[in-house]
Amino acid sequence: MNRPTMAASRRVALAAALAGALVAAGPAAAQQQEVRLGWMGAITGPIAQLVPPILRASQLAVEQVNEQGGILGGRRLTLISADSQCNAQGGNDAGNKLVNVDQVVAIVGGLCSGETIAAANSQAIPNGVVMVSPASTSPLITGLQDRDLIFRVVPSDAYQGQVMARMVWNMGLRRVAVTHVNNDYGRGLAGSFRTAYEALGGTITAFAPHEDQRASYRTELATLARGNPEALVVIAYGGGSGLTVIRQALEGGFFNRFIGGDGMRDDVLPRELGANLNLVVTQPVPREGNPGLEIFNEAFRRVGGNPASIFVAQGYDAAFALALAIQHSGGTDRARISASLRAVTAPGGTVIRPGQWREAVAALAAGQRITYVGASGPIEFDANGDVPGNVAQFTIQGGTFVQGPILSAN
Amino acid sequence: MDQATLGLLLYVLGLANLAAIYAVMALGLNLNWGVTGLFNAGVAGFFAVGAYTSVILTAPDSPHFLGGFDLPLPVGMVAAMLVSGLIALAIGAATIRLRSDYLAIGTIGIAEILRLVLKNEEWLTNGVRGITTIPRPFVAETALVSELSYLAMTLAILLVLYVLLEAALNSPWGRMMRAIRDSETTAAAAGKNVDARRLEAFVLGSMLMGLGGALFAHYLRYIGPEATEPVTTTFLVWVMLIAGGSGNNRGAILGAFVIWTIWSATELLTRQLPPEWAVRASYLRIFLIGLLLQVVLQRYSRGLLPERNPAERGATGPQDRTL
Repeated sequence: MNRPTMAASRRVALAAALAGALVAAGPAAAQQQEVRLGWMGAITGPIAQLVPPILRASQLAVEQVNEQGGILGGRRLTLISADSQCNAQGGNDAGNKLVNVDQVVAIVGGLCSGETIAAANSQAIPNGVVMVSPASTSPLITGLQDRDLIFRVVPSDAYQGQVMARMVWNMGLRRVAVTHVNNDYGRGLAGSFRTAYEALGGTITAFAPHEDQRASYRTELATLARGNPEALVVIAYGGGSGLTVIRQALEGGFFNRFIGGDGMRDDVLPRELGANLNLVVTQPVPREGNPGLEIFNEAFRRVGGNPASIFVAQGYDAAFALALAIQHSGGTDRARISASLRAVTAPGGTVIRPGQWREAVAALAAGQRITYVGASGPIEFDANGDVPGNVAQFTIQGGTFVQGPILSAN
Repeated sequence: MDQATLGLLLYVLGLANLAAIYAVMALGLNLNWGVTGLFNAGVAGFFAVGAYTSVILTAPDSPHFLGGFDLPLPVGMVAAMLVSGLIALAIGAATIRLRSDYLAIGTIGIAEILRLVLKNEEWLTNGVRGITTIPRPFVAETALVSELSYLAMTLAILLVLYVLLEAALNSPWGRMMRAIRDSETTAAAAGKNVDARRLEAFVLGSMLMGLGGALFAHYLRYIGPEATEPVTTTFLVWVMLIAGGSGNNRGAILGAFVIWTIWSATELLTRQLPPEWAVRASYLRIFLIGLLLQVVLQRYSRGLLPERNPAERGATGPQDRTL
């Protein structure tokens, strides 16, 4: 064998050894005692700043389970996190590690809709693993062929759009223009708003997407202002394009009345544009009079978390509900988690609130049915594994957003 | 086989599946850059075109995107290559005469245009939401059979491509391409039609990137705009080729497997840290990926399997230099 070939084969061997070492370093030897719950989310990537509090909230649920006697007769529950990077490749890869290497019983996650769908389609569904997303709002998740494995504790953005349409209609507005940030969120909410508003009899005079983080939207605004709309519906982020769109709409005299989605509920808007800004927004909120939220907020504050962070209540609920489902199923058999998850969230049983792990274990041991009413409210999964939303109206008063009535889509 | 062993096997199969898909694209880029010296920085664009083409042709009818053709998978894949090739032909006709860095800028821009069109033409692609109703062969079987069958298919495609590309590289055509890469003036002086040959390599390479996109979409059963972002397509494929050995087909394949393994399996290391470190560990992993790439590139500056000249290949010319 000549030398270049020798050198080459040494390098192949080296590379193979490196790959082997990395794989072998994984936790191959499953410890029988611990019960593994997977967690996937975009720890790195475009939503990185939103993720640590959500992960912390899920960890809080797991800590509470372990502090209160553990799971399945004293076994330790561990949360194994994987970074899904907010894209399909990352979602598949994180799902692969959790499902196959770690052999988790179920998964909390993902966060970005693309990572959730990729992990569900390529890993969770073929292997029969339940996923509960705390944050993926894409309507596509509703329609997945998921053998009842994919759930979420956050409403699809199809619902908020319907509520918003009814609100705008009830405000007496019959002609509006719509602009939305051109991503999954903006497209989903604006699309469902449009369908619902037109079904009510309203007229959309213009409907235009815009790219986030641009310096000027004057061209788009000039087009949107044609056709005598009474208001502009802005589906965007207050800290991003939303502020610029409204500022330039006011400056150019294109619009003076605005409607927004939850992304626009940002105090930067009244601060920058004045306390008399005419902006009404909708936002999904925890059910009113739900003591679970206060219990969670208190516990989350105690571990140094900020309860005002986005999707933390959902992050907690997804983990706690899955822990309850594992306890209910009586073992780590993945195939039984889906039915158990429905059993522990169905109404009519003994009410279990955030942190009441010991009570839940005792009730299950006594053969009682339990109903987990979480930090985000009752978790009433429909046939697709979606939860109905609870959307409130917010108006600007005294330079900040103040919650108004809970709205209905009907 | 117990569950843990089966799981590890499934993980390795999943890893190999994606690595093999990336290897197809790395072979395409090798034909562009390694062999002909074309700085194609638009991998993401051809990847996206191939993925969406195959998906639209093979997916069932849907009100959300152009579809309902329900054609068999091989038709989708061949069409993915053809459409990518046609688009590359149009782009190449306009840009192929640009020298390397200008071609890079041109292809980056065109790839972004392609991606933006696919992101915004909702009737065609369902826009930012992407498509989930993509057929995947063998998916009804158990996870193990399904993964193995898909891997067998991808590896078979990879093998055919490798054999064809090796034959091409060892033929007079391959020598002509390398001559163009090393000195266009000399090749032109020898009577070669440099622009036509460069265009040929550009189109053929882009077809393989389109095929990679199709294989990817059918494997994950999902395609959306964020799946075609340049970091996980253009950048990663370039790293694979450079680390593996630009100009060497086996290097391109090895690079895809090694880099994808590093990309994925580093997390198995960093997650050994305590749970409080979960967020930091993810960043540590990105750091580790960068560090390992540095090590590979510093230690093997010409790649893990460097290009060998025809004499070393034993194809033609003087006898091997036996040492």
